[in-house]
Amino acid sequence: MNKSGLVIRLAVVIIFTAVIVGLITTQLFYRFTFLNEQALGEQSINQLFNTVSPTASIASYLGDEELAKEVVNGLISNDVITAAAIKTDVLMVQSDNYQKSANILEFTLFSPFQKKRKVGVLFVKINKKFLANKADNISATNAFVVAIEALIITIISILVTYYVITRPILSIGRALHLISPGTHQRIDKPVSHQKSEIGLLVDDVNSLLAKAEQQMLREKSLRSEVQVLESRFRMLFENATSAIVLVEPQGDILLYNETFERLVEKLELSLKKNYGNYLQDLFIMKKDLHEQVQIAFSNNESAVVELELISYQDEKIWVQVVVTQLITDDFQENYQITLHDISKRKQQISLLDKRANYDSLTNLLNRQAAEQHLKKLTLTSVSFALIMMDLNDFKPINDIFGHDAGDELLIHVSSQMMKSLRKADVLSRWGGDEFVVILPNATKQEVKNVCEKLAAQLSKPLHLSQHNKSIFVTASMGASFYPDDQVELLELIRSADKAMYQVKKNKSANEALYLEFCSDITHEKKDSKL
Amino acid sequence: MTKFIRTLTFLICTLLSISVHAQESLAVVVNKENPVDELSRSELIDLFMGKYVAFPNDEKAIPVELKGEHEIKIEFYQNLVGLPLSRVNAYWSRLRFTGRKRSAVFQSNESDLIAFIIANEQAIGYLPESQITADLKVVYILNE
Repeated sequence: MNKSGLVIRLAVVIIFTAVIVGLITTQLFYRFTFLNEQALGEQSINQLFNTVSPTASIASYLGDEELAKEVVNGLISNDVITAAAIKTDVLMVQSDNYQKSANILEFTLFSPFQKKRKVGVLFVKINKKFLANKADNISATNAFVVAIEALIITIISILVTYYVITRPILSIGRALHLISPGTHQRIDKPVSHQKSEIGLLVDDVNSLLAKAEQQMLREKSLRSEVQVLESRFRMLFENATSAIVLVEPQGDILLYNETFERLVEKLELSLKKNYGNYLQDLFIMKKDLHEQVQIAFSNNESAVVELELISYQDEKIWVQVVVTQLITDDFQENYQITLHDISKRKQQISLLDKRANYDSLTNLLNRQAAEQHLKKLTLTSVSFALIMMDLNDFKPINDIFGHDAGDELLIHVSSQMMKSLRKADVLSRWGGDEFVVILPNATKQEVKNVCEKLAAQLSKPLHLSQHNKSIFVTASMGASFYPDDQVELLELIRSADKAMYQVKKNKSANEALYLEFCSDITHEKKDSKL
Repeated sequence: MTKFIRTLTFLICTLLSISVHAQESLAVVVNKENPVDELSRSELIDLFMGKYVAFPNDEKAIPVELKGEHEIKIEFYQNLVGLPLSRVNAYWSRLRFTGRKRSAVFQSNESDLIAFIIANEQAIGYLPESQITADLKVVYILNE
């Protein structure tokens, strides 16, 4: 049995109390009995005195020793009296063990004939020991009785407590121990406690269990609701066409969806836990990303940046990156980064761009694009040379061999000329058989060199398979310099044009290069004027 | 039955006699030659109840009693110690067991008593006042 169990504890307390109360009661009873016995002893001595007083009086009166002895002996034959003595004026009769001490009662003896005449004194010593023994005996009996009573009360108390209180409580406790909350299990009320406090306790426990069950059911339904919601969110998240990633400020990825996984696969990168802040390692232009994010966040907005992804494939992948700052419930800063694939759009845009700026036949920049380029150069104050070029005798070719042959020749000339140009140089088709070459930061000599090369290249013959004939063309060129010749773009073009026409007008069949510098024309004009 | 009637008659007579002698005081008398002139009540009791056998002057004393249940005797003891004669007799009976002897002399009637006192110098006795003679000396008078 459990040492600190209810029954044991109760038994200990009851037994302890019984012992203490028994001891106190016995002690008190002993004192009381002793005093009572003492009083009784005195009373019996008084009675004894009353019995012997006539004889004692006579003995004292007469001074009769024999009679006095008779009285004394009679007295000490009593248990209550240890010693006795009679004293008169002439006589002192005493028992053997008589000594003057405390505990001696004195009785005055009067004459039997004269009630006021003192004739002697009777001394009586009470037998204290006898009284104490008597009291002891009575007390011992009493203590025994009290002990038996205490024992019986203790046993009955323990039994009653055990059967009425402890056992039902223990059985309730055991039942409660076996019950798992949240089920419809309840505790049975003990039969004898339908309306007692223990019954009430069971009722309360049962109502508590009912509440717990209700709450658990509610939680269960809530949980299933949350599960459904979660699965929907998951579906939404996992099936999103855009890659969605949740990252910490240091760049650690908390969550990503399948689309992101596929994207990383497509980039032929390994799936890592961290791609730097805002996934920066995935993009070519990291700087742009950081700038845009900073600007957007300082305005409390989501950052939207279009960036190209690092890719080892030919195909360029462009994405629109949306970085949104999220603050969690516990005030943690996280970023939601969404990557929308915009490669197709980019491609379309570049295609449109191409269509707008390039000549569809020769794949050279068209006039509009060339003009734009020129404008840009003037705005950035870059010096350049502008060469206006027109094919000589192109019209007859068109007329003789047809437009297809003319187109073929134009394509041929264009591709030949591209070979002799630097990367920064621009060749554009100005219209018809007219071309414009832009050479940034070129000296007059350099221009001349380039033009010689161009002339050599373009005049390479083209074999027309349809006509089984090889043809070739030459070109007249006029060059002007920005900003040395003209600052105005239109004037610059016009002067180059003028120089070109000058060449065309004066051309002779033997000349290898038909090039005129506009500056030379003005000089000639000046010369002719002069 | 007869005994009862006798006792009853005797009792009635006794009562009557008491009433007769009620007015008459009893006197305690001694021989004329006795040097004692007067006794206190206590001395008287001590002499008659056996405490002392001598007068205060240490002369031997002989108490003279009437025999049986004499009216005067009854009255005397009633007056002296306030006890009926039966109690007085019981007293003497008790003392007899302790071996104490009474020193009193018993006389059948008043005249014998008077004669004994006159003849004996140490005698002391009691009489109704009316019977006192010149040969006797009164030492105490018992009043009601």
